[in-house]
Amino acid sequence: MNFNPCMKHKLIRNSVRHFAETELWPIAAEIDRAACFPVEVVGKMKNLNYFGLQAPAEFGGAGLDSISMAIAVEEISRVCAAVGLCVAVHNGVALYPLLKFGTKEQKERYLPRLASGEMIGAFSLTEANAGSDAGSVETTAVKNNNEYILNGTKIFVTNGGVCDFVLIFALTGHDYEHPQTSVFIVESGCRGFQRGEVEDLCGMRANPVSSLFLEDCHVPEANLLGKPGDGLKIGLVTLDNGRIGIAAQALGIAQGALETSVKYAKERQQFKKPIAAQQTIQNYIADMATEVAAARLLLYRACALKDTGASFSAEAAMAKLYCSRVAAKVTSLAVQIHGGYGYSKEYDVERYFRDAKVTEIYEGTSEIQRMVIARAVLSQLMF
Amino acid sequence: MLNLIVCVKQVPMVTELPWDEKRGTLRRDLAAGMMNPACKHALEAALQIKESRPAHITVITMGPPAAEEVLREALAMGADRGILIGDKLFAGSDTYATSFVLAQAIKKQCPDYDLILSGCYTSDSETAQVGPQLAEELDLPAAAYIEKIDITGRTLRVRRFVDNFRETLEMEFPALVTVAMENYQPRYTTLAGLERAFKEENIVSLSASSLGISFSTMDTHGSCTKVRKVFLRKAQKENIFLKGPAAIVVNEFLKNHEDKVSSAIGKDIKKEENDNG
Amino acid sequence: MGNQKSIWVFGDYRNYFQNRVTLQLISKACDLARRIDAEVCAVVIGHVVDEYIMEYTAHGADRILAVDHEILKNYSADTYLAVMENLVRERKPEIILIGATDFGREFAPRLAKRLKTGLSADCVGLDITDEGLLLQIAPSFGGNMLAEIVTPERRPQMATVRPGTFKEIPHNYERGALVERLPLITNLPGQRVRLVEYEKSAERQHTMENSSVIVCGGRGMGNRNNFKKLHELAKLLGGDVGATRPAVYAGWADHSALVGQAGRHIKPKILFSFGISGAIQHTAGVGEAKFIVAVNKNPQAAMMKMADVAIVADAGDVLNTFIKELKKRIRE
Repeated sequence: MNFNPCMKHKLIRNSVRHFAETELWPIAAEIDRAACFPVEVVGKMKNLNYFGLQAPAEFGGAGLDSISMAIAVEEISRVCAAVGLCVAVHNGVALYPLLKFGTKEQKERYLPRLASGEMIGAFSLTEANAGSDAGSVETTAVKNNNEYILNGTKIFVTNGGVCDFVLIFALTGHDYEHPQTSVFIVESGCRGFQRGEVEDLCGMRANPVSSLFLEDCHVPEANLLGKPGDGLKIGLVTLDNGRIGIAAQALGIAQGALETSVKYAKERQQFKKPIAAQQTIQNYIADMATEVAAARLLLYRACALKDTGASFSAEAAMAKLYCSRVAAKVTSLAVQIHGGYGYSKEYDVERYFRDAKVTEIYEGTSEIQRMVIARAVLSQLMF
Repeated sequence: MLNLIVCVKQVPMVTELPWDEKRGTLRRDLAAGMMNPACKHALEAALQIKESRPAHITVITMGPPAAEEVLREALAMGADRGILIGDKLFAGSDTYATSFVLAQAIKKQCPDYDLILSGCYTSDSETAQVGPQLAEELDLPAAAYIEKIDITGRTLRVRRFVDNFRETLEMEFPALVTVAMENYQPRYTTLAGLERAFKEENIVSLSASSLGISFSTMDTHGSCTKVRKVFLRKAQKENIFLKGPAAIVVNEFLKNHEDKVSSAIGKDIKKEENDNG
Repeated sequence: MGNQKSIWVFGDYRNYFQNRVTLQLISKACDLARRIDAEVCAVVIGHVVDEYIMEYTAHGADRILAVDHEILKNYSADTYLAVMENLVRERKPEIILIGATDFGREFAPRLAKRLKTGLSADCVGLDITDEGLLLQIAPSFGGNMLAEIVTPERRPQMATVRPGTFKEIPHNYERGALVERLPLITNLPGQRVRLVEYEKSAERQHTMENSSVIVCGGRGMGNRNNFKKLHELAKLLGGDVGATRPAVYAGWADHSALVGQAGRHIKPKILFSFGISGAIQHTAGVGEAKFIVAVNKNPQAAMMKMADVAIVADAGDVLNTFIKELKKRIRE
């Protein structure tokens, strides 16, 4: 067992950090305030393979291992979580399922365009009445000759405002009592496809999260991912992977908040000494640093397991549960350390604080993660 | 095909300079390394040459084993081969010794080079000497601080701005240039490039013995200078804080520091009228 | 005379009026010479150099070695190196000081290599040790650290020195010096580097490294228009505008104006820093500013703590007031 980062991981971290600090840091506060997706910087990221992190080189991707992928998402999120989210979702839950379940034709048609970032991907399951309960989607897909006609409304779609490629979960029938869902590749240019307004959210404001409306949306049968009724299976596998991305994002936010706090605690003088000299502040910092380190190990373990090809469902859920909890806690302490300034938009921690909360909610709430973890633990014979 | 050599150095990231207060030394072993920014400009110049004509880029560095990182990074950016020179014998080399060792490695590993590029200074020791001294070792025509490179046949034409003179110089290959920071903004590293850089086995490691350099060689060709002491520059600043409305603080500042401003700008800034705060 | 120790100063006379580094070095050499009982000798290579011989004499040189020939008309590392190497081998000076001009920085390392001796770069201080060695104090890490360097065995001991480090001795045209006019060496090598074109530029867009006044702006300037006003102040003060990375990437300034670890290392007499928090990536490039005036709303900013005068106020307001006030005060 080796806990030291290898040279490749170090270089990937340095290189993404350099990019993020150079290109994203100067605009992060501004795009958050204006709720504006940074098209220009994202364009640069496309050329550097940030949109094909784990896509194989033959499709124009970087072909990274999972720890490298997590490091990339972590480093982007350390500076700008909303763009980190864009990358995590595109790679983790749009490109990945296509790679995993797509036919040869589907991969040839879409993978190069996704890996190059020509198409930005999204994953769309959530509806007004279906969130954690994926089985209750109400969007329908009815087969008509060699097409499916989709109808329904999807909400809270990350990258919704800018996506070109969406995986839509829709009801294709019933298997006895059980609803049968299937997954469709829908291009944004498709007839009957419409985006809603960008949501006005608490955090992740630079990511254009929106609704998607499908009104008699015609999708070729060739765009069915997997077989009819594979929805649940594809959904679960995809979310396992997506959780690694979100955990990495949460970890990046926590890391950013920790570093900012350390710097501030050393600078800020009260009672004629830096507040870092106060034991209370030291305790906060010690807890923050410890938990961030633990979160990182948990995440990388899930990544390493994924790369062996074994099931990593419970490990990914643990990583996601813990990393997001750490993010919420660390960013809250970061605000505390900054005092009044931390509550002001002049300082980055206020943004970190808002951004962190949602990591406990999306890609499976913390409650759902616990369900996944408990199920895995309880099903084991020995523990 | 042109054979290009780029000399790079790994320097500690300035954000992390662990300073050993007791010993008064820099704990370089604790500092994360990075490619010296000026060296990156030199590499970028080489990469741009390679984009315009067939060329092969060898990157060469001298340093501890961890310096392999900068070679991998250079490969990721588009270099073709890396040479890592590392030996305890070379630790603490000054520019005199470094340029000697680099020259031996170049003569041994890539004697058929056309152009050697190096950065114009390093961000740690800031000597800016290795490039010119390497030119001496290899007896090459050389130009420092170049901002633009044009190649026609075997003729190198460079432009530079030195001491208020804009110069255009020409020389024949083989030659050496040190690249200024003005142009050749280094590109970002692609992730695919990084992944590829670790798959290829194109880094050569050279020790002193493989270069035929012994302890006694370094007696003659080793460092001529000795660093007696390194210390943090202590700022003896008053660090005066001024608070209040802009008009008041600016006048207060100008009143108290009029001499400082005047002498720096070479103009008198004495106030004519009465002081109205 | 034969065994008289000698401290040489390379006569770098290009841009004579703006750049007085040779005179500054002669002055320092006089100091050092007293300590080791040596003479101070200025070496002048070029064509039609009488003016400089006179100046160097008036500013304190005891001896002048002049090689005056048409072929030496233009600065050329190849030929100047050959001439200098020959002189040194013949006369064996104890110390050679060279101004850290662009030419000096290219010329000195090559000369040192030929003479098989050590060289320290860009020194900010020189002294004589108890053992009589030249103590060379050179900056590293953007001037945040200093190193004390000696050349224990090899001779000559060589150092380049930054312009402005030492004060020149006021001229005295009554002074005399021993002027030796020497013939050009016979085996002068051909010039492998050909000077195709050159022109003296009245000013360069960014001479920030040499500028004595720099006005720097950061993210706290808020927007492009505020940032633009920095140029107005810089113009009033006859200085240059520098920028931090956020300002460069916000598109307010050119990359060539970037000050810091990855950009320029500046050393102005006075630095005005507006709306800059003082990330180490930036401060690594300003360690050698002699006097820093920082303006920031946040008194805790690192930049404020390293300033000589820290003004706690809105950067834009203070900038406007400075411009207004200085316009009144500066009379051409």
